[in-house]
Amino acid sequence: MIDDYLLSIILFAPFVGATLLFFVSNQQRDLVKGITVAFSAISLLFSIYLLYHFDTAKGGFQFVQERVWSEALGISFILGVDGIGTPMVLASALLMFCGVFVSWHIADRQKEFYINLLVLGSATMGVYMSLDLFFLFFFYELSVIPMYLFIAIWGRHTKGYKDMSGYVTMGGDSKRDSPAFILNFNKNSKEYAAMKLTLYLSLGAVIALLGILLVYVNSGLNTFNIIAIAEQGALTLGMKEAAFLLIFIGFAPIAAIFPFHSWSPVGYAAAPPAASMMHAGVLKKLGHFTIIRICFYLFPEATVVWMPWVAVLCIINILYGGLVAFLQKDTKFVIGYSSVGHMGYIFLGLASLNMISLTGAVFFLFADAMAMGLLFALAGYIYNQSKTMDIPSLGGLVHRMPFVTFCFVVGAAASFGLPGGMNFVGEIMVFMGAWEVYPIQTILAALGVTITWAYYFRMTRAMFFGDLNPAMAHLKDARGMIDRLPFVLLMFFILFFGIFPGKFITVIEKGISPILMRIETGISATAVAKQPGLKAKAGGDS
Amino acid sequence: MTPAVLSLADLNLTLIAPELWMTLLACTVLVVDFAFPKIPKPQIAYASMVGMALITLLLGSYAMNGTGGISFGSMFILDPLAIFFKIFILLSTILMTLASIDYLEKASYFRGEYYFLLIFSALGMMFMVSANDFLSLFITLEFSTFGFYILVAYLRDDLKSNEAAIKFFILGALSAGLITYGVSLIYGSTGTVLFEEIAQKHPETSIGLLMGLLFIFIGIGYKLGAAPFHTWVPDVYQGAPTTVTAYLSIVPKAATFGLFLRVAFGTFIGLKADWQWMLVWISILSMTYGNITAIAQKNMKRLLAYSGIAQIGTLLIGMAAGSKMGSESILFYILTYLFANMGAFIVVIIFSNLTQKDDIEDFAGLNRRSPLMAFAMLVFLLSLAGVPPLAGFIGKVYVIAAAVHQDLILLVAVGLINMVISFYYYLIVVKKIYSVEPKDSTPIPISLPLKIALYVSIAGVLLLGIWPKPFINASVAATAVFSDLVLK
Repeated sequence: MIDDYLLSIILFAPFVGATLLFFVSNQQRDLVKGITVAFSAISLLFSIYLLYHFDTAKGGFQFVQERVWSEALGISFILGVDGIGTPMVLASALLMFCGVFVSWHIADRQKEFYINLLVLGSATMGVYMSLDLFFLFFFYELSVIPMYLFIAIWGRHTKGYKDMSGYVTMGGDSKRDSPAFILNFNKNSKEYAAMKLTLYLSLGAVIALLGILLVYVNSGLNTFNIIAIAEQGALTLGMKEAAFLLIFIGFAPIAAIFPFHSWSPVGYAAAPPAASMMHAGVLKKLGHFTIIRICFYLFPEATVVWMPWVAVLCIINILYGGLVAFLQKDTKFVIGYSSVGHMGYIFLGLASLNMISLTGAVFFLFADAMAMGLLFALAGYIYNQSKTMDIPSLGGLVHRMPFVTFCFVVGAAASFGLPGGMNFVGEIMVFMGAWEVYPIQTILAALGVTITWAYYFRMTRAMFFGDLNPAMAHLKDARGMIDRLPFVLLMFFILFFGIFPGKFITVIEKGISPILMRIETGISATAVAKQPGLKAKAGGDS
Repeated sequence: MTPAVLSLADLNLTLIAPELWMTLLACTVLVVDFAFPKIPKPQIAYASMVGMALITLLLGSYAMNGTGGISFGSMFILDPLAIFFKIFILLSTILMTLASIDYLEKASYFRGEYYFLLIFSALGMMFMVSANDFLSLFITLEFSTFGFYILVAYLRDDLKSNEAAIKFFILGALSAGLITYGVSLIYGSTGTVLFEEIAQKHPETSIGLLMGLLFIFIGIGYKLGAAPFHTWVPDVYQGAPTTVTAYLSIVPKAATFGLFLRVAFGTFIGLKADWQWMLVWISILSMTYGNITAIAQKNMKRLLAYSGIAQIGTLLIGMAAGSKMGSESILFYILTYLFANMGAFIVVIIFSNLTQKDDIEDFAGLNRRSPLMAFAMLVFLLSLAGVPPLAGFIGKVYVIAAAVHQDLILLVAVGLINMVISFYYYLIVVKKIYSVEPKDSTPIPISLPLKIALYVSIAGVLLLGIWPKPFINASVAATAVFSDLVLK
């Protein structure tokens, strides 16, 4: 019984919570927090239930629900998860839940903050569950706007920020409001970060929308249903290649693929911690997920054509992201660029197109969500205490906050792929799979791992060890359940599934194998389709 | 052609009953206002709202029973399309009357005439969507604008209001001239002014016909405020009383689209190849010009004026598609536009009722002064930008899908990029409302009628975004006349 509505419950619980919050006054802080915790906990508990009730013997899409939304346009509200969606729904619910506790002490408009967070979490899970192209896009687009509000309202100005409020234009208005200021690359105001992120992602979204509409119109089915299009869609090979390209270019920017990555570090650095966690943790992964769900699943023939190009770009991500991270002096920028680098491993896994690399890539999606969530949560905690993210002005924090230091070391170790953490499992699987297809890229990517080690060591040492900076003497360690809960929860997941990855891997493999099968049949179908042409040509010659 | 003889027995008065009742209502309002000056003006407003609601019910029953037909020597048509637009006009007039009550309490004179003129304009537009030949097209277009000329100049002592009215009048007269000229050219080349006869004759492309078509399109372009015929829009919107601006920005546009659909999709569908490219370019220009210019605006009403030009451009994507789906999408989009744009103007009305200001800068920190208004503005602007789960998103996807069906890839690409540009200026306003601290943090009180209007608009935007099925079905049913337009 509950299985029929399971996904709806997970998806709509935060929406319901957000709606309830509208009717609560901002002064009733306990009630606001109570509602938020309750509804995000519902999502979390049911998504754990989802992971353990996903039938690995059966595979395919499970817990499917369908409601017709508009016959005229062929839109149905279809939810369903496979082995790829299941872990990501869990990751979203978990990070949303942790985000609530990370934002526990926000003083300014906490209610609105939580509404935003719940909507963001819900929209993210919506993408991971949607089996209808329209709703997939609907939730994707819905997830972009809360991020703008997060940064513009609760964000902070980042490095190199110049307050221009004194500058006045000829017309007598403050220069801060002019497009020139907001689009200026040198003055890293939070307005700039927010606008840049939104414009990058919306531009990507509309490109993807064009691809989706082309598929919708040309499949000849008058439906947005992904499964129906995959099975009966009458798309020509050229159309598939075009749609693949549009949808890839549309959705890859949110996965911060080079050269569309530059919104991401500045966006994360400017965002409040809970928003950075959500965005680096699960929203970024929407890019990879939609590429698997739409591009791989619907256009297997085109996948083979385009993915070798991605195998080149991803190496730039890894090396460039890593080297830039090395140069940063702001903690959140280091983590942000490290996240850009990590996206490269996932793209390498996707590009290799074999069982082990794809499984590793999806595993990495979840692992990176946990590690990024933990690191951004900790960075946010330290910032709230010290009001700076500048690495040189921190130092020796271990003397004041041993617990935070311990968590940070665990997070950093997980992030650079120390065995025992989840990232290690994902990385090693990606490398094993990629080695068979792209040996050069694999070697370069392995080099990238070394860079990752280097900058994480450097940052951790500079921030936490050595002598305590006297200006930081007032800092307090995370105490009490509320402050520690998110860190402990995320560390638990990192270590538990890092040591026992088996459950995840079997679930993910169930999601990967049908897609791989489609790609393989796609390759052979293309080969067959090309052969008569060859024969005809040969006949003409003789 | 035999001269049409009008005898009362041939006239089907059932078809025209809503208009007759509306005329009666308008006259009653006028007479009561003069004869009983002691009746408070809000009472007159409520009475006229009830009257219009009853007429809406009458039209609803027509829609249920499938009442319809052609009368008055083929000049007047009542079909599902006309009924859709009439209900739309009446509902938005009711909403607008509600939103005007407070504003008028501050005005010093002619408060009763205001409602009369509003009803009178609505009446003109109801006739307009039923126009079935080029003469009634011309007459009804002028009839509906007539009331607006006065309404725009309503603030008699305000120079801007007077300037706006004069600009509006001059360009209105110009477009009327263009349309008349176009009609005469079409009559010259086809020998008839009746929509159906022209459609049945399948006229060959001739230079006279094409010129006529061009003039009519330009005239309609002026009425819609599409670029490059938009020049009157920002000044008129800024100068006119805000309530009138709100009305002007939606309802006449919608009614003109109703008429435009009949002309382009019904009468001249055979010449689609000749008019499609015109609409493609008008649409591209309107969207791009409207959106880019909106970025630089400092006044809220001007911002909404330019964004309105861009929205008209988006609607013209659906026109350019020239298909059944295109016509459906226009109807649906107009519905979404009504609630979002009307809502945004209602926020401006509430705000300027209290502060007498309407610069974007003045809205800074609105969230601290009135969370409800700030949230409402957020919802309306995001709906105009096309963000789910709000109405505008579905509307935009609908319109664009219709154009993709027709392989208008350039138009679609420009439309999509413009969607992103529009994010920029809508979000700047959102940012000001939410993240800047107000200079003056006194809370803003909202009177009951305006609160109701605000809630209705929010509900409309959310309902159309989350559960659009009945509205999509209504649009599909209303455009059944165009169902023989094939997809490609």
